[in-house]
Amino acid sequence: MKTPWRLTALAAALAAGCAISPAANERLEQARASYRGAAADPQVQRHAAPELQNAANALREAERLAKEGSYSELVEHNAYLAERRARTALLTAQARQSEADLVAARAERQRAQAEAREREAAAARAQAQQAETERQQAEARTKRVEEEAARQQLQQAAAAQFAADVNRLEAEAAGVRAKRTERGWTLTVGDALLFERGTTFQPGGERTLDEVARFLKKHPERSVAVESFTDASGAKDAAERLAVRRAEAVKFALVQRGVEPYRIDARGYGSSVPVAASDTEGGRELNRRIEIVIGPS
Amino acid sequence: MKPFKVLAVCFAAALAACATTDPPESEMAAARAMVAQARPVAQGAAPAELATAEGTLARAETAMQRGHYEHARLLAEEAEADARLAWTAAEAARLQANLQSERSAR
Repeated sequence: MKTPWRLTALAAALAAGCAISPAANERLEQARASYRGAAADPQVQRHAAPELQNAANALREAERLAKEGSYSELVEHNAYLAERRARTALLTAQARQSEADLVAARAERQRAQAEAREREAAAARAQAQQAETERQQAEARTKRVEEEAARQQLQQAAAAQFAADVNRLEAEAAGVRAKRTERGWTLTVGDALLFERGTTFQPGGERTLDEVARFLKKHPERSVAVESFTDASGAKDAAERLAVRRAEAVKFALVQRGVEPYRIDARGYGSSVPVAASDTEGGRELNRRIEIVIGPS
Repeated sequence: MKPFKVLAVCFAAALAACATTDPPESEMAAARAMVAQARPVAQGAAPAELATAEGTLARAETAMQRGHYEHARLLAEEAEADARLAWTAAEAARLQANLQSERSAR
């Protein structure tokens, strides 16, 4: 009879072992909840899959042991590990997300800084370009002003030289009067001083032409108009023909003395442009004249 | 006489099993290392988790000294999990703070 009692006691003990302790059960519940929470988090799935797997392993072991209905201590242990690891997975995911956000934020800040630097550099380049352009423009302006001043100085010097030469010619060549007009300088010589008769020059007239030719050759850039005028007495046609021939004769004489023919324009004007009243012999003599108009260069 | 003999054999086998359990050196080493790693960073950021880890590790050390190797192994594993949680919480807090300061730097 002793043996059946012992067997009964053993069976009772085994039956009691089938249920794990309440503390282990509670731990298991906590582990399941923590694991479910972590597994449902998309950040955990993305950033902490191995950590979540560690939690899953411990939880599976706890469930297996709990199903066997024994080893409460081991169930409790594995459930504890599963709960800790699930929380660790959650925090790992948070940490890695923060890290990724940090990298992105730093890159964004550096990109913005680089952009700002580039903008500043571009502005500085544009400013330098603007300053250089202004400097060049100012330089060009200064150069133009200087060139203009130099040109005017040369022109004035040339004009002064020319005026001095005209005055010397007037002083040295007998019977030549010089006058400044809007056409340039006009040299006037009375016909009586230049011509003996017809188109024949007087010896004094030849010398006057020598002086005039020398003067014209000294100023080769100026155009020359030889204009011959008569008085209003006598036949008009004959007087005009003589005027034309005398103008041509003066041109020919100047060309003979070395003045380029293309510079000289010879014209006879008859009595149309008198310089004095023709009712006296003095006035008529003044009107019979050669005008040599020296134009601007 | 016979059932008693069977039970005696079983008990002897169980004792033998206990006696032949090796000291959980690698689990203890892992727990100590993890606690050491967590200690400097978790003191400020996760003090409760660190305190749990330290306490569990101390209990594991005691179990080792008394030769309760199986108990020491379980405690060492738990201490290691506590310390890993403490370290991870500190890391998450540190990175979150870095992110905040980066964002406010702009």
